[in-house]
Amino acid sequence: MFISENPILRRELFSRLRSPKTFLAISSVAVVSTLLVLLRWPTDASIDLMSQGALQVFRPLAFALATGLMMLIPAFPATALVSERRRGTLALLLNSPTTPFQIYLGKFTGNVILALVIFSVSLPALAACYAMGGISFVDHLGPLLLVLLGMAIQYTAVGLWISAIVNSADASLRWTYAAVLTLSFLSLGPTVFVGKLSGIQSLLAHWATAISPISALQSITGSQAQASEIGISTGWPEFLMASCMITVVLSLITLMKLDPRLVERARPTGKVIGRKATTTPFNGWFRRVSYLVDPQRAKGNIPWWLNPIMVKEFRTRKFGRLHWLIRLISICGVSSLLLTFVAATGTVSWGVDRIAPTMVLLQVALLLLLGPCLGANLIASEVESGGWELLRASPVLPIRILTGKLMSTFWTLILMLLATLPGYVVMGYIQPALSGQVGNVVVSLVIAIFMVTTISACVSGFCRTTAVATATSYAVLLTLFAGTLLIWVARGKPFGPLLVERALQLNPAAAALAEMKTPGFEQYRLTPDCWYLCLGISCVCLAILSMRVWRMTRPD
Amino acid sequence: MHEHVVETKNLSKRYGDFVALDNLSIHVDRGQILGFIGPNGAGKTTTIKILVGLSRPTSGSAFIGGVNCSEKASQIKRLVGYMPDRFGSYDNMRVHEYLDFFGAIFGLNRSARRKRIADVMELTDTTYMQDKFVESLSHGMQQRVGIARTLLHNPEVLILDEPANGLDPKARIDMRQLLLRLASEEKTLIVTSHILPELARICDTVAIVSGGKVRAFGPLDEVMRSLCPLRSYEVQLANPEQLDPAAAILAKRLHASEPITLSRAERVLRFPTVRSEDELAHLLQGLIAEDILVSQFREVASDLEDAFLSVSAGSAGHA
Repeated sequence: MFISENPILRRELFSRLRSPKTFLAISSVAVVSTLLVLLRWPTDASIDLMSQGALQVFRPLAFALATGLMMLIPAFPATALVSERRRGTLALLLNSPTTPFQIYLGKFTGNVILALVIFSVSLPALAACYAMGGISFVDHLGPLLLVLLGMAIQYTAVGLWISAIVNSADASLRWTYAAVLTLSFLSLGPTVFVGKLSGIQSLLAHWATAISPISALQSITGSQAQASEIGISTGWPEFLMASCMITVVLSLITLMKLDPRLVERARPTGKVIGRKATTTPFNGWFRRVSYLVDPQRAKGNIPWWLNPIMVKEFRTRKFGRLHWLIRLISICGVSSLLLTFVAATGTVSWGVDRIAPTMVLLQVALLLLLGPCLGANLIASEVESGGWELLRASPVLPIRILTGKLMSTFWTLILMLLATLPGYVVMGYIQPALSGQVGNVVVSLVIAIFMVTTISACVSGFCRTTAVATATSYAVLLTLFAGTLLIWVARGKPFGPLLVERALQLNPAAAALAEMKTPGFEQYRLTPDCWYLCLGISCVCLAILSMRVWRMTRPD
Repeated sequence: MHEHVVETKNLSKRYGDFVALDNLSIHVDRGQILGFIGPNGAGKTTTIKILVGLSRPTSGSAFIGGVNCSEKASQIKRLVGYMPDRFGSYDNMRVHEYLDFFGAIFGLNRSARRKRIADVMELTDTTYMQDKFVESLSHGMQQRVGIARTLLHNPEVLILDEPANGLDPKARIDMRQLLLRLASEEKTLIVTSHILPELARICDTVAIVSGGKVRAFGPLDEVMRSLCPLRSYEVQLANPEQLDPAAAILAKRLHASEPITLSRAERVLRFPTVRSEDELAHLLQGLIAEDILVSQFREVASDLEDAFLSVSAGSAGHA
């Protein structure tokens, strides 16, 4: 069977192409790439002998396309298999004469072609850069297209693999974005954070760096100087090799999982050992030592002073259960203390002034990873499961539903922030001058949490399925947080300092970085205007969400 | 005098040009079970949604316990236990936690809730599954938990949308017994179902709706009589070779509008008729006089399915 005749490929591709989400993605890529070229296009008539003009247009465009690909593409494969399994159509496919290889090939090729279609609208913008005469096809355009293709196949393989092993579409989206974030940014960690390495450690760090497209993009766009400043030295051929290896390995693992056992997965029936008749003292003691709290202990009735909707949200979330929250908070606390400790003892070449921004970035990364997922689940999943109808039929007031749901997300994120405070306290002890700045950073992060919660909950109120709400929340918040940083990357030309400052005022993470005097952010005075603006945006979202919840609880 | 616990008066609901309900008037008394029957899109769910305060009528009114459903929706929600056709499951939640949550949002205090949960779990025979995750339960178990949930705030009226849907025969019998037990405790029940023989066994009253209109409403036997005036009779013979002569004798005495059908395997002749008991006695006498060996001569009771089909056929004809 020719690949073009693969029924899975045809259905996957055509159904995706017909969806409004794809239209929105294509429009966004077209608008952003066109705007970037227009803004960067030289206005003076002088001849550019150094060909810097073309590179100045090409560089932000390349990074913008890569960022767009990271944000948009993983959402499609991440829901491809899990949605089929939830709907029961995967069992039909596996029962048909279509082989698992054909199913995988159809899904994989369909999603890669979809990525190519979405990003093909940026070709005129790339052609415009080429027409300026400063860049070549062999050194610039060709490698960039190959890197974008490498990213597309890598993220598709990651998305399909995660989609085959998790049980829900939103969990698949969450883990896929976490994996993409790890592959793209955290893989640079060993080289960037730890500094000079030798022997096998150096080799491993080098290949970990090669997994990230950032080093490849920097080598293509002529930013090697900035890259080598932070210890990155890999090029685009290494990235392509790493990308192909990851794709092949993950594809083989996914293929092995594509058999009838995938749809036979038993649902956990639940086991509680906290009740009198079944408790054995040793088991209970062992679990309490292992988890700090006993995850199998029967939960008590909801007390009167707690909002039942909030308690329900915590209980229905896997990470909302107490033993998971304790693990999450412990990891945050230990990581922050560890980072501060290595800075204080001089284990790495960085001082407190570099560790503090790193902590801020890690906190924001964690916030952006968990926040949209938690917020997007609030209303869309309730509507999807049929629980909303039951809430409507109960006498509970809309304000109680709203506060319960928002608080469940807000408190989870705040607890994670609080867990990192000991790190800041130690930092303040090492460098007392930082104490005031730390206060401002905490305020900025609290506002960021409020903003992430309200925006993603607002998105959730207008979506009928959790998967759509999760993907949209990620896209909106990444645009807000990463998009403004992209404008900051292109500071100087064409974006003037005023425009960059205005853009950064939409980003509370940028305010935190500016407070910590992070290199590149020293000249911006973002607080308190950024706080007011972000609080304003959050309040508008909150007002829209309140109206929406009120409307959704009213009789039809 | 009966007390109408549930009452709708000329209830109408329009969505643009589409008429979902057209002057629907029904009533149910305390401790009665109303079977609410109709084809898909007949207006059953719209009526239920108006009754539980989730939808407003375009005109007319609905009352539960004397309270207007559209004007005092919050009060209605405490009077009614509503089980929609979708269970409304939550991930990672155990049955006990699930019931505790719904008890809390209905405002039951902690100690009252603890006792009430134990009571409803016992009543619905769900105590043994209290530690299981709700999403892991079978459909039948979920239906029982759904009923337990509707009973938590001890409502006067229970409105159950397709409670027997997807249940196996054993679970259906259990469900039937449970509903009868609730009715015996003075609860008023409105039950929709597509499994009509099941409904016929528990309902005191039926309302058959089609195209947004009530086609038949009243006690089950009255509805049957009004919708199925033709009674069906069966004559079973001892000797199968007498089937054709017996059919010839009956054909001479019956009208053309009373067609006879033969079932040789069962040795049975069937015919619909509107004749009186005396006329039928003469018919039997005629057969015996011709030396036909009759082993049984009996009326075949019409069931709810026949009534439903006659209404459906009638409304399709009108359409």
